[in-house]
Amino acid sequence: MYVSPIREPLIKGSKDYGQVTKDILSPMAGKPSKYWYMGITLSGTAALFGAWATFVTVYYGIGTWGLNKTIGWAWDITNFVWWVGIGHAGTFISAILLLFRQKWRTSINRSAEAMTLMAIAMAGFFPLIHMGRLLLGFFIFPYPNTRALWVNFNSPLLWDVFAITTYLLVSLIFWYVGLIPDLGTVRDKATGKIKKAIYGFLSFGWTGSVRQWTRHETVSLILAGLAAPLVFSVHTIVSFDFATSVIPGWHTTIFPPYFVSGAVFSGFAMVLTLLIVARKALNLEEYITIGHIENMNKVIIITGSIVGIAYITEFFIAWYSGVEYEMYTFVNRATGPYAWAYWIMMTCNVITPQLFWIKKIRTNVVATFIISIFVNIGMWFERFVIVVTSLHRDYLPSSWSMYKPTFVEVALFVGTLGIFFTLFLLFIRVFPVIAIAEVKSVLKSAGENKKELHHE
Amino acid sequence: MNKYITAYYNDEEDLLKGLREILKKGVKVADVLSPFPVHGLDTVLGLRRSRLTRVAFWGGAVGAILGFGFQAWVFTKAYPLNFGGKPFFAVPAFIPVTFEMAVLFAAFSMVFAYLIHNNLGPGSRNVIHDERITDDRFLFVVPIEDEQQAGAIEETLKAAGALGITLKTKE
Amino acid sequence: MDKLTFVLKKKTVTVLLVMIAVGLLAIVIGYFTGTGGNRVAANLLLNNYYFLSMALIALFFVAVHTVAQSGWQMTVQRVGEAMSAFIPVGGLLLILFFLLGGLHTLYPWTHEEHLDEILIKKQPYLNVPFFYIRLVVYLGAWSLLAHYIRKSSLAFDSLGQMSYFSRMRTLSAIFLVVYALTSVMSAWDWLMSLDPHWFSTLYGWYVFSSMLAGGFAALILVIFVLKRMGYLELVNDEHMHDLGKYLFGFSIFWAYLWFSQYMLIWYANMPEETIYFIERHNHFSGVFYVNLILNFVVPFLLLMTRDSKRVFGILAPVSMIVIVGHWLDLYMMIMPGTVGGEHAGFGLVEIGAFVGFLGLFGLVTFWMLAKTPLAPVNHPYFKESMDYHTNY
Repeated sequence: MYVSPIREPLIKGSKDYGQVTKDILSPMAGKPSKYWYMGITLSGTAALFGAWATFVTVYYGIGTWGLNKTIGWAWDITNFVWWVGIGHAGTFISAILLLFRQKWRTSINRSAEAMTLMAIAMAGFFPLIHMGRLLLGFFIFPYPNTRALWVNFNSPLLWDVFAITTYLLVSLIFWYVGLIPDLGTVRDKATGKIKKAIYGFLSFGWTGSVRQWTRHETVSLILAGLAAPLVFSVHTIVSFDFATSVIPGWHTTIFPPYFVSGAVFSGFAMVLTLLIVARKALNLEEYITIGHIENMNKVIIITGSIVGIAYITEFFIAWYSGVEYEMYTFVNRATGPYAWAYWIMMTCNVITPQLFWIKKIRTNVVATFIISIFVNIGMWFERFVIVVTSLHRDYLPSSWSMYKPTFVEVALFVGTLGIFFTLFLLFIRVFPVIAIAEVKSVLKSAGENKKELHHE
Repeated sequence: MNKYITAYYNDEEDLLKGLREILKKGVKVADVLSPFPVHGLDTVLGLRRSRLTRVAFWGGAVGAILGFGFQAWVFTKAYPLNFGGKPFFAVPAFIPVTFEMAVLFAAFSMVFAYLIHNNLGPGSRNVIHDERITDDRFLFVVPIEDEQQAGAIEETLKAAGALGITLKTKE
Repeated sequence: MDKLTFVLKKKTVTVLLVMIAVGLLAIVIGYFTGTGGNRVAANLLLNNYYFLSMALIALFFVAVHTVAQSGWQMTVQRVGEAMSAFIPVGGLLLILFFLLGGLHTLYPWTHEEHLDEILIKKQPYLNVPFFYIRLVVYLGAWSLLAHYIRKSSLAFDSLGQMSYFSRMRTLSAIFLVVYALTSVMSAWDWLMSLDPHWFSTLYGWYVFSSMLAGGFAALILVIFVLKRMGYLELVNDEHMHDLGKYLFGFSIFWAYLWFSQYMLIWYANMPEETIYFIERHNHFSGVFYVNLILNFVVPFLLLMTRDSKRVFGILAPVSMIVIVGHWLDLYMMIMPGTVGGEHAGFGLVEIGAFVGFLGLFGLVTFWMLAKTPLAPVNHPYFKESMDYHTNY
């Protein structure tokens, strides 16, 4: 199919198919660098903090946290929503960009999807532990029991169980099905007997036959078509946890699409944070080009602006409603005891992404890295502001209270960060970070040397 | 017969061109293997469209009915409870779980159907004709019914530009 | 090669003028036979807003694809640009409507003598002068941006300088930001304030999603009509497939937002919010459910398969159903608060006003189509669109 010559190449360096295989498999070969060891030591230590904090919480109880009767949810749910949001970028890149036929997704989808799985796993940890008795977590599933009681299907918290479980499982099979052909490549290029056996097992007997490929494309397309509404539904259902209530700041109809935009916003920021480092460390800059980074930054402007418009809408309608409690909630957010959190959120979420309108900034790797971190900080604070400020001062002034996290809660969060980065570091050693077969399939139409490759 | 010929091309455009010639000469092609899906190949080979989409649709329908039905049964027959004054048969509340069940069942039924139908799974043993198929080689397999034909077929393949023409025996 | 010039035949013009006349007649008859004065005004607002939105969505279509640097839509780009020519026409009619009594008839907050304490609180925003200022700003911005985007597109095609290409991109980006804000605010001003005691933060986006689906259905139908007339030969199954996918996706998106708004208000059960749906569900129950069937169930089931989106035999009827469906959705937004269950209905005024505005919209679109070449053949992405085929 004709491709206009004014388009920027997506794969630089005049590669051919064999070279693509070599480049993408090289991070998995040989011994890891000293930076990898340093990284995993750091993240591993953080994970251990989390393990300690988990033990303390389960053994001594939720009393080791800073929660009280007024503010029953704080860091726990903030972290839950933050992690789920981050996971959304992977599915967005794999599913929605596939449906929109954006070829540039082929260099980033594999690692973004892996990141999604890790993020969902980290997210799922928080609802489980905030119920206190982690080991009885299976209570949340509808199974026949001696109490003759079923779970409460009327509750958005239960809808969450189904949503997160479905999201985890469907993302897993989407990621894995896409990975099978590349695992075949790793198997065929593996030299050691053990390595060949392991990847032989993992690649499910992939041969590359035309029927396998054609059906694989169909399956990928349908999974994309399923995953796209799924990703909307998951963060929508998470937003329902708040929006179905009656307190100002929580009960507002805009939450579903606003949360979804915020999720894609923070997810893309995390993908950028990870891939800007990975592309340099793993010598993959010719595959994850400045063009890719620029496109991801454009998604950040769009979703960040949607979030900004949602803020304006909420604030305006709070006034327009004439309900004094609504108005107070927003005044309190901006000027009350948690105002510092509110202004961090506004600066990071509304102002910093707008910088990407300037081409020089959105094509600059260092600037993008810094902004991506600010976006994630901002989105953490957004959830904190929503959860805590709405709870700490709602209808009844005699119930007003304050919240401060304990060391245990902070350690739990740090622990999830540790596990997340550990898993990512392991991922880049064990699996190909870029979708080898997909990049090859766009090489002729999007590679730098597309004129020489074609010979029709 | 348990003999077959394998041959390959180094480029998918050559593959498509070569295959058209080979098929025109009446040679049957049993399979084509490539490092990535080659567009236009299924048309050249005359493959029919996959029915996996139908599996996904019916899987989803089953999931939705199961999800909605179960919730309705739990809240109207099994153990009806009054939650905040909501009716027992609370349709708006049942929608999220129904949707998730639909997606879950659609995805899993389709993926399992795909894997089983293509003999892909943990422990599957399939013939790997060439280790470079997953790298940069586009291989195809021609079944040989009559050994005397093998020579003529090899000539046809060579004329169409195929490389590495080898006669093999099935194990 | 494709027929590049659209010839506006006398017959077409006559048909469209007759439609406009029918509309005017229906309105006049409706007004003078006392069909509850509000009902005539409500229908004028409904159809005016609906067709204005379709024009805006057509411009949105052009802008979004320009900013996304996509090439496949080039063969249909001019159709979107032509439909956007209705923006100033619909805008002017809307201003006239409000000035000539529409504002005072339909909007309770304009009756400053009868304001209750809630509406008094809203006066800094809901007052007549500020309303008109905002009205002019919205319509002015939209009309100017539409005009300059169209101009850049044509100039680029005939002159070929890359400066027009980047200007189109910039203007499109500006339009998207402006439209994001103004579509939401105009929905509050013109639609939400019809029920001034009620509010919903999702309302602006919900209205947008409704118009989005209707607008794409309109785009598909205009293309269908042009192809039947023998034009747009280069528009193939692939282009229609993509437009069909948009219609499918946006219909589901609309249903998602409808459900979100409804379920959250149902769940919290707060009387000041639920009153909105109680009126609609109890006094307009038929329309309430038909709305969901036409706008979600029909497109979801009928546009699911790949083939359905490539065949006008299915795509065109479904588009027509969706257009009627979102008209009904708008009906549900406007009628309960302005006309009420006893006086509302589906009669001469409803059908006539729709036909009238449809005629006007068609006339303006075709007039603009005749003024420009039907395809931007010199655009660097045009060849991609001509040669457009995909594998999924």
